[in-house]
Amino acid sequence: MGALAYSLEQALLSLWRGRGASLLSIATITLALFVLGAFLLVTLNVQRLVGAWRGSAELSIYLQDEATPAERTAVEHLLDASPFVAAHDYVSKSQAEKRFAALFPDLAGLSGEPAGNPFPASIEVRLRSGPGTEGAVDALAGRLRAAAGVSDVRYDRRWIDRLVTLAGIVGAVGLLLVTVLSVAGALSVAIVVRLALFARRDEVEIMRLVGAPLSYIRGPFVTEGLLHGGVGALIAIGLLLAGLVAVRAEYGLAVQAALGLAPIWLLPLRLCGLVVVGGMVVGGIGGLVAAWSSR
Amino acid sequence: MDRVIETHRLSKVYRRGVYALRDVSLQIDKGEFVFLTGPSGAGKSTLLRLLLCEERPSDGRLTVSGRNLDELRPREVQAYRRTIGFVFQDFKLIPRMTVLENVSFVLRVLGLSSVQQRRRTFQVLKWVGLQHRMNAYPQDLSGGEQQRIAIARALVNDPALVLADEPTGNLDPDLSLEIMNLFREINARGTTVLVATHDRELIRQVGRRAISLDQGHVTEVM
Ligand SMILES: Nc1ncnc2c1ncn2[C@@H]1O[C@H](COP(=O)(O)OP(=O)(O)OP(=O)(O)O)[C@@H](O)[C@H]1O
Ligand SMILES: [Mg+2]
Repeated sequence: MGALAYSLEQALLSLWRGRGASLLSIATITLALFVLGAFLLVTLNVQRLVGAWRGSAELSIYLQDEATPAERTAVEHLLDASPFVAAHDYVSKSQAEKRFAALFPDLAGLSGEPAGNPFPASIEVRLRSGPGTEGAVDALAGRLRAAAGVSDVRYDRRWIDRLVTLAGIVGAVGLLLVTVLSVAGALSVAIVVRLALFARRDEVEIMRLVGAPLSYIRGPFVTEGLLHGGVGALIAIGLLLAGLVAVRAEYGLAVQAALGLAPIWLLPLRLCGLVVVGGMVVGGIGGLVAAWSSR
Repeated sequence: MDRVIETHRLSKVYRRGVYALRDVSLQIDKGEFVFLTGPSGAGKSTLLRLLLCEERPSDGRLTVSGRNLDELRPREVQAYRRTIGFVFQDFKLIPRMTVLENVSFVLRVLGLSSVQQRRRTFQVLKWVGLQHRMNAYPQDLSGGEQQRIAIARALVNDPALVLADEPTGNLDPDLSLEIMNLFREINARGTTVLVATHDRELIRQVGRRAISLDQGHVTEVM
């Protein structure tokens, strides 16, 4: 307890005395944590997006023009029997044509061609997400394809998978960057704390000689490292918040429209906690290295 | 009688084969007041440094209260140092701390409450006659005053053994005797005291046992 209070008191003093050099190591840690936070935020949003898209993923069943009502009912029975189907809607040929016309008014004339309505009738299925969905839905899609009166079944998740892969690559690059920056942060803390130690080497020696416990001798320097990391983390969180606010003000509406989903515009508490803990670990390691390498 | 310090064929060799101590065997019992004397370079400081675990013996055995100092691990060395009081020739006061802080720090690391720290520190400072300077910084004090602060720090935690390296090295004879009286006083209360000095006149005045060293050898035990 005594060593802790003493260490904190001395570390704060030292941090203040060496604030010039400390600024450098704090800035390095801030950069590392800012990058970490930014990547985490992007990853988090991508995960949320993928989750939402997966959840509302659709299966489209296109019916042959000559499919009979009985065949359609048989398909609908198949759907009703599956626990992964949340709902299904029948879209008739004329409804499909109207939808197309509403979406692309300029092209509406095309469908008025003599060959008649080219749009097939379909059944649109909204799926339930959950464990095992993908395999089960693949199997269901296979059975539907084989059913009478069905011309085609679309169940395309490949672009979601691609997005997930891309997010994985981006995440890996981010992790690498964060690792490099963290090592740089720990190193710069070690150098700065080492300088503080060097400036106070006579005092440290005297403490050693009068029998101060090692926790009193090394504690202040480890604590100083922890403080470097903690301060760096707080600044990084501040910058992340500011960055979020700025991006949201500039692009918020556009992003929301493009994704059809409101991204996370707030720093989740757990992310803040992670950034602070990360900063203190990096700073603490730097402090430990400095304190232990002295004799 | 309890044996406090015991050396057996203790040697210390510095680089290039210089023997600072050679085959030193001596005993100091609990409650004794002993001078360590001899010309410059005799090895007085070396013996005290070995007793503080600042250096390790090159050969032989050195025990304090039955513990072989060579076997102490770093954590134990710090704990051992807390049980002895050491007065350094160059005082070793921390310049950025006040007199009060310099002395009370020793109690702080022992885990005493700040009230206890203040009370005991004030007591010791009063004893060395410097309670009125407790808020001064060491560099604002005279040599004699710094010496007395160094003694106050060595004694503040009531050590059972006090070691002093030339505690009167740069003081006039009157002040030297005054400092010696402080050591006599704590010795009278049962503390074992070992003082290194080359001031033979002072030893004569105090009239206690003296061990003479010359070129690393014990030459005379009075
Ligand atoms: N760190 C060191 N490295 C090499 N030689 C040393 C070292 N410290 C002391 N010596 C040598 O050891 C011998 C004993 O030195 P020591 O300091 O113990 O003498 P002393 O009796 O305390 O002398 P003084 O009265 O001048 O303080 C001397 O010859 C000295 O040069
Ligand atoms: Mg000496």
